[in-house]
Amino acid sequence: MVYLSDWSKQQQDVLLNQDLPKYNDTACVNGPPLSERRIAIITTSGLHQRTDRVFTPGVGEYRIIPDDTNMDDLIMSHVSTNFDRTGFYQDLNTVFPIDRLRELLVNKEIGGIASYHYSFMGATPPTAQEIVASDLADNLKGDSVNGAILAGV
Amino acid sequence: MGGLAHYLEKAGIPTSQISLIRKHTEELRPPRALFVPFELGRPFGNPNDPDLQRAVLRSALELLTENNGPIIADFKYLDDCKIQDSSSMTGWACPVNLEKPTSVVKDLDKLASQLMQEIRLLEPWYHESMKNLKGRKLNGLTNYTNEELIIFLINFIKNPNLDSFIVNEPIERALKLACDDLKYFYFQAALARPDGASDLKINEWLYRRTHLGKAFLQIREICLNHTSKKLSISGRTNFVPNAML
Repeated sequence: MVYLSDWSKQQQDVLLNQDLPKYNDTACVNGPPLSERRIAIITTSGLHQRTDRVFTPGVGEYRIIPDDTNMDDLIMSHVSTNFDRTGFYQDLNTVFPIDRLRELLVNKEIGGIASYHYSFMGATPPTAQEIVASDLADNLKGDSVNGAILAGV
Repeated sequence: MGGLAHYLEKAGIPTSQISLIRKHTEELRPPRALFVPFELGRPFGNPNDPDLQRAVLRSALELLTENNGPIIADFKYLDDCKIQDSSSMTGWACPVNLEKPTSVVKDLDKLASQLMQEIRLLEPWYHESMKNLKGRKLNGLTNYTNEELIIFLINFIKNPNLDSFIVNEPIERALKLACDDLKYFYFQAALARPDGASDLKINEWLYRRTHLGKAFLQIREICLNHTSKKLSISGRTNFVPNAML
């Protein structure tokens, strides 16, 4: 049970009233129909391969998750203690729906799956992610990705 | 997450995000977001519920074709799909009866041996759980054994000015990784029979019924009162969830 409503008012205020950056304009780019899109998953759950270095709090860094890696060998080094992990313990797809994405490809609902997916650790100031986002965008373009699903925890 | 969506979209990559905290999404105004009513930590809903997970993923993907953002769409439940609230699952119990810890821990050598005993009792269930998860292991953030991690933690409690015991990681991060690695081991063992497991139940077990939980509470107190600002900050949230305070 990790709903905000179950936290004390003070705990809720700390999370909800963070000083977030302002984005006055929202870019929104076009793309082909879904059935022609190549999709990557970007998670901020702090997932990574066992051989990767663990995440460092406050740093806008990411880890790559190759699509052909053994997904059962992903581990989580997110710093927060305040989200449910029992779902992830039982089923990776609760946070990183790779099996579901593959099913949609078999059904031809999407056009392809990226060669690489990406993982950040949330609890990082959004502006710290800006530094690496342009590299990440170049990598996604190089992989012909034209749709990214972003999922936090 | 909303910031990242802005940066990627500006660079030409269409994004659609899952939102668990609506207020943050409203303030950050990312191009496309699907608000889901699940608890924190479960953006795609219930574990082992492919229909629900697929419905969430499909809804988020369909938003990609919308080009007049910022949009926040509400996830529509499937008629025959129930959203599982982990707190409603009350049947879980740890497969091992551990000795109940005392509230004040003074004899640290005794605490160390009690922790070693807990690990020995949990180990068979950890292996059983690994088998159930087809070899998947949740721990392994560090390269140390559980016994070595316990010695590190006890040494820190004895001497809070201890140097870091993990190469290239400062002491506050080393402590966190050691605690999390042990916690993952305990949780994986405890989930050998996952029926009815919930975040609340399993945390109540760890923090109220195990010596490890008591050690975490003690480490939190030491950190909160530490002269190092970084340790003091890490004490606030890194070792004990809000719901267990």
